[in-house]
Amino acid sequence: MKLEKSMIKLNQDVPTRDQAIRMAGQLLVDGGCVEPEYIDSMIARNNDVSTYMGNFIAIPHGTDDGKKYIKKTGISVVQIPMGVDFSNPDDDTEQLVTVVFGIAGLNNEHLNILSQIAIFCSDVSNVAKLADAQSPQEVIDLLKKVGK
Amino acid sequence: MAQEKKKSSIKVGIQKFGTFLSGMIMPNIGAIIAWGLTAAIFMTPNGWFPNAQINNLIKPMLNYLLPLLIGYTGGKMVDDDRGAVIGAVATLGVIVGTDAPMFLGAMIMGPFSAWLLKKLDNAFQDKIKSGFEMIYNNFSLGILGMILAIFAYFIVNPIMVTGSRWASIGVDAIIRVHLLPLANIIIEPAKVLFLNNAIGNGILVPLGIQQAAKVGKSVLFLMESNPGPGLGILLAFMLFGKGSSKSSAPGAAIIEFFGGVHEIYFPYVLMKPSLILAAMAGGVTGTFLFSVLGGGLKAAASPGSILAILLVAAKGSYFGNLVGVFGAAIVSFVVAAIILKRDKGTGDELAEKQKQMKSMKSESKGQEMPSAQNAQSSVKSYADIKKVIFACDAGMGSSAMGASLLRDKFKKAGIKLPVTNTAVRNLKDEDGLLVITQEELTDRARQKAPNAMQVSVGNFLSSPKYDQIVANFKALTQVEDKPEKAAKPAEKPGLIIGIDFSKVKEVNFIRHDEHLGSATMATSLFSDAMKKAGKKTPVKAVKINELDDDPSHLVIVTPAAKKNLKLRYADIQIITVDDLLQDKKLKQIVDKLN
Repeated sequence: MKLEKSMIKLNQDVPTRDQAIRMAGQLLVDGGCVEPEYIDSMIARNNDVSTYMGNFIAIPHGTDDGKKYIKKTGISVVQIPMGVDFSNPDDDTEQLVTVVFGIAGLNNEHLNILSQIAIFCSDVSNVAKLADAQSPQEVIDLLKKVGK
Repeated sequence: MAQEKKKSSIKVGIQKFGTFLSGMIMPNIGAIIAWGLTAAIFMTPNGWFPNAQINNLIKPMLNYLLPLLIGYTGGKMVDDDRGAVIGAVATLGVIVGTDAPMFLGAMIMGPFSAWLLKKLDNAFQDKIKSGFEMIYNNFSLGILGMILAIFAYFIVNPIMVTGSRWASIGVDAIIRVHLLPLANIIIEPAKVLFLNNAIGNGILVPLGIQQAAKVGKSVLFLMESNPGPGLGILLAFMLFGKGSSKSSAPGAAIIEFFGGVHEIYFPYVLMKPSLILAAMAGGVTGTFLFSVLGGGLKAAASPGSILAILLVAAKGSYFGNLVGVFGAAIVSFVVAAIILKRDKGTGDELAEKQKQMKSMKSESKGQEMPSAQNAQSSVKSYADIKKVIFACDAGMGSSAMGASLLRDKFKKAGIKLPVTNTAVRNLKDEDGLLVITQEELTDRARQKAPNAMQVSVGNFLSSPKYDQIVANFKALTQVEDKPEKAAKPAEKPGLIIGIDFSKVKEVNFIRHDEHLGSATMATSLFSDAMKKAGKKTPVKAVKINELDDDPSHLVIVTPAAKKNLKLRYADIQIITVDDLLQDKKLKQIVDKLN
């Protein structure tokens, strides 16, 4: 699968992690990848086990139960330049996130691109490039470079 | 020093070879037991309940099934599924046309064929047009398999038959002149050095199976698995030991005798190396009694517990087996008691010796002693790991990311272990598994796979644990690797010139049009580093027009942004770095701030 320009939203400002997840989820809904119920399952999953991955990125996705709401595989990107804290409210450590990848995966079709994202984002300077990206195309181009 | 090193590399070599041999046997122990039980119970006319029909199973199991499984496993160890298949095909060539069970032949043809296939694949894989992979895969294996099976039939089989005959003549001779017990003088010290599996499954079990096939039982199965010597030593500790070694001995004795886990008594012997004499005396006695009194097993007793031994004991040899085990225990008890009585140590060194044992075990498995930090994850050795699984809640996102990262790192480090991901609920408990999870999921994963090695990471993307894991696996393949370079040369001080750190009241990163996100991240990373270093100066991200022109501001920028800053401000202090997130200068700045 490929990352679609329409699934990338840049320069967003959100007050809470739930809102960041909802935004990433809404992109998946708008892209025809999931039913709206999937968003609640994304929130539930993040409350259960955080989808904060370190290096300023988070990859919210649904729970196992939420898989039934997936219509097709898709990945959305929300860039939050000012950052949003993904830590639990009762936790005093900060888990700042600047790039959110919303994920809906069926039959492992998303693994290719997810692995590109993982390898790319394991270098924090690359995450900075994503956080500074000025156009959806730039995000796509950045992630494309991986593995070449 | 050099000699010591040589010694240890020989030990590692023996251990590696032994591990390889026992690796072919280990997964098939179950099949060997199935055959052993069938033979013990139903063999005509010697079984407990002779049955002529079931008897038909016994020979094909021994002659075909077991060698094929071993050839299959041996091939699999070299080249996964393809290796396994060709290993089995080629092994058949050694089996056919002989009545002797071809274990050794299987242990040679299995890995050898897989290795050849791998070489062939390497040579051709690039040249195959896409769409033809399947045809290539099947026919290359088929054709090579045919050639190897024929080769094995005409060349390897005769060699094996001759070799087997000589070996059995040798073993027979040793048994006939009652010299077999002397072998224990070598076996016991080797056991304590954790070569027990290598000796047991690598040498004694294959020979024992051949002997058992001929005469219905073999003493060879008992030589390493006999729990008597260990039991005697532990009993001696119970009565004459001191301190913690005395109080821990009863539990260890139960595990040794009923659980058959010999490793449990090794630390006690290491604590007092002269106790090896007790183990040797016990082992020699046991084997002597087994041979004289007609003891013997129908199949390998694994683990070497009294229960397993009784379960696979040949009909009519219970007496010999029990007397042998208890005789061994009594003799080793007496010798150990004498040694311990003369001992003046306090006995509190047990903990330390146990530590030493752990490091020996890791050394003998070709692994560096792990640091205290990951001691928890080294309870089970990396040498046993056959695959790595990342587990998360749904198996959709985070685990997939972690898996692809580690796969990438493995690839770069030349480690050939499969790395996959799954949902925690799909985890299966198997040996040789390393499970990596987020900290929150560790408990759930442990419930699903209690026998797997567990590593928890807080941060899937940049966990230092990955590099530890890679280093541990690498250490396995490159035991002789040079030690890490001595401490890095101290970084030169004074790279930051002309900054008056005493005036700084606030550190700033600049948010400007195209660098909003990275400034946010740099601020977060820097204030994190400050907090860790116990520094109190606040760190803020600001817009370029939000600053007071005052030396109390220390602004960290990239060279490109410095120009802009200079146009607006005269008095603020500026440091340029090439990389806002990872520049080495940042660490020095933290050090100098308040």
